[in-house]
Amino acid sequence: MSAEPLDRPIEALAPELHAGRLSPVALVEAALDRIRRHDEMLKSFVQVSQSALDDAREAAREIRQGRWKGPLHGVPIAIKDNYLTRDMPTKAGTAVPDITFPMKDSHAVAQLRAAGAIVIGKTRLHEFAWGTVTPPTRNPWDLERVPGGSSGGSAAAVMAGLASAALGSDTGGSIRIPASLCGTVGLKPTFGRIGRSGIVPHSWSLDHAGPLTRTVGDAALLLRALSGPDPGDPSCQDRLVPDYTAALGQSLQGLRIGVCRNHFFGRNQVVVAEAIETAIGDLASIGATIRDFEVPNLEYGLGAIFAIELSSSTAYHDASLRAGLTAQFEPDVRTLVEMGRLVTGPDYLKAEQFRRVLIQDFHEAFEDLDAIVTPTTPLTAWAHDATTVEIAGGPESVLAASWRLTYPFNLTGLPAISIPCGFDRDGLPIGMQITAKPFDEAMALRVAHAYEQSHDWWTRRPQL
Amino acid sequence: MTAPKAGASLNPYRDVLGLEVTPERLEENLAAFSDILVELRKLRNLNLTDVHPAVVFDPTGGTCDEETER
Repeated sequence: MSAEPLDRPIEALAPELHAGRLSPVALVEAALDRIRRHDEMLKSFVQVSQSALDDAREAAREIRQGRWKGPLHGVPIAIKDNYLTRDMPTKAGTAVPDITFPMKDSHAVAQLRAAGAIVIGKTRLHEFAWGTVTPPTRNPWDLERVPGGSSGGSAAAVMAGLASAALGSDTGGSIRIPASLCGTVGLKPTFGRIGRSGIVPHSWSLDHAGPLTRTVGDAALLLRALSGPDPGDPSCQDRLVPDYTAALGQSLQGLRIGVCRNHFFGRNQVVVAEAIETAIGDLASIGATIRDFEVPNLEYGLGAIFAIELSSSTAYHDASLRAGLTAQFEPDVRTLVEMGRLVTGPDYLKAEQFRRVLIQDFHEAFEDLDAIVTPTTPLTAWAHDATTVEIAGGPESVLAASWRLTYPFNLTGLPAISIPCGFDRDGLPIGMQITAKPFDEAMALRVAHAYEQSHDWWTRRPQL
Repeated sequence: MTAPKAGASLNPYRDVLGLEVTPERLEENLAAFSDILVELRKLRNLNLTDVHPAVVFDPTGGTCDEETER
């Protein structure tokens, strides 16, 4: 692993910053320099903050004066450009000039600033957080491949070391898919754990805010800073926020890890299937008991998430639709937003009824389990121009395949984290998804950390 | 000669569903929707009569304070 500060996790940087051995100014200058050198190629940022260096100088002054705000103090963090920010305009990935958003901090960004983090810039997303490609952002492991989406800019920036961490949003997998394809950690917490006010909505009951980081420990640090009540988000719950780092380093001895053998297995690239089976074996070897189970009702999930996501997105964009602005959207997003009109009211409510069934199914599964392990995506990063891939002996649309293993946990709202668990023959990362009970992010982090520490995947970096 | 029924003049996409697009766009939308419809049909065939939707109505709008709760 490189000794450059931006190649080190926040959990390693924080003691250096606190002790004054590393300056926030030097860290932010290094991030800005790396963005200058690499982002013309990666295209992960849409804006770089003009005030980041001033903010770093202020952080340095505060730390010198003994006003330490915690482990994120002075750390450069990138923000997906669907989170409102007071100092940079938000575009949510759209080029439509008539669509604008207020210049104020979203709840999550305000939480990060209060924890002392330095907002280094805004990252690119698939327009309005639809889609899993994020054009024209490139995957740092292979510039001819997609980074995933919709938080593709955030994942590419973190893996390339242009920021120590980033924020993403996840409606059907948009944190975990790019995390899997770029080899970062990506955490979608329980629905209601992190307030979403000031994030441009995509689908109110499916949208989640969360971090993309180098390590599981860093995800724990950001989750703590981001969690807590948000008066502007009716779905955000005012629950006790634990010190998630306390879960790290705990043994897996006696834990029961479930493997849902239907839906999540059988239609994955061979290299992904092999890596996950190896990882499951590794979890057993470090103390976990593995139990197979099935959730047959998952076969209805795709219709349910389509009904909710399409109708919600169309409702949100209704004014733009009626004003004719959607004609200026990217062709794929325009079609999706228009198509939502074809989903009927009964379809939508049937989907919400089905959600309760699926939540109950997983509730019952968790009576005998502590966590569930699946692949994050059935495939590794695909070529920019690919629309289909060969999976399990047949062609499949990359868009259909890419979110198949992630959207069930948007329907159920369960916490889910993606961590790297290997690389394919082309050197592309493979992701493993770990899910836990509602509001038990600590368990997902515990299992993820135990696996992470038993391998060196997280130390690997792409050559830029 | 009988008068045409009022419903006969309604366009199912434009008037009923509110999808105001050109005929060409409508064709594109319907073609793209056909795969989704396969999944929606599975959902429509489920009997969920006795299941309450996951979305729960809250008459307080999440704004209830201690005084109004007394």
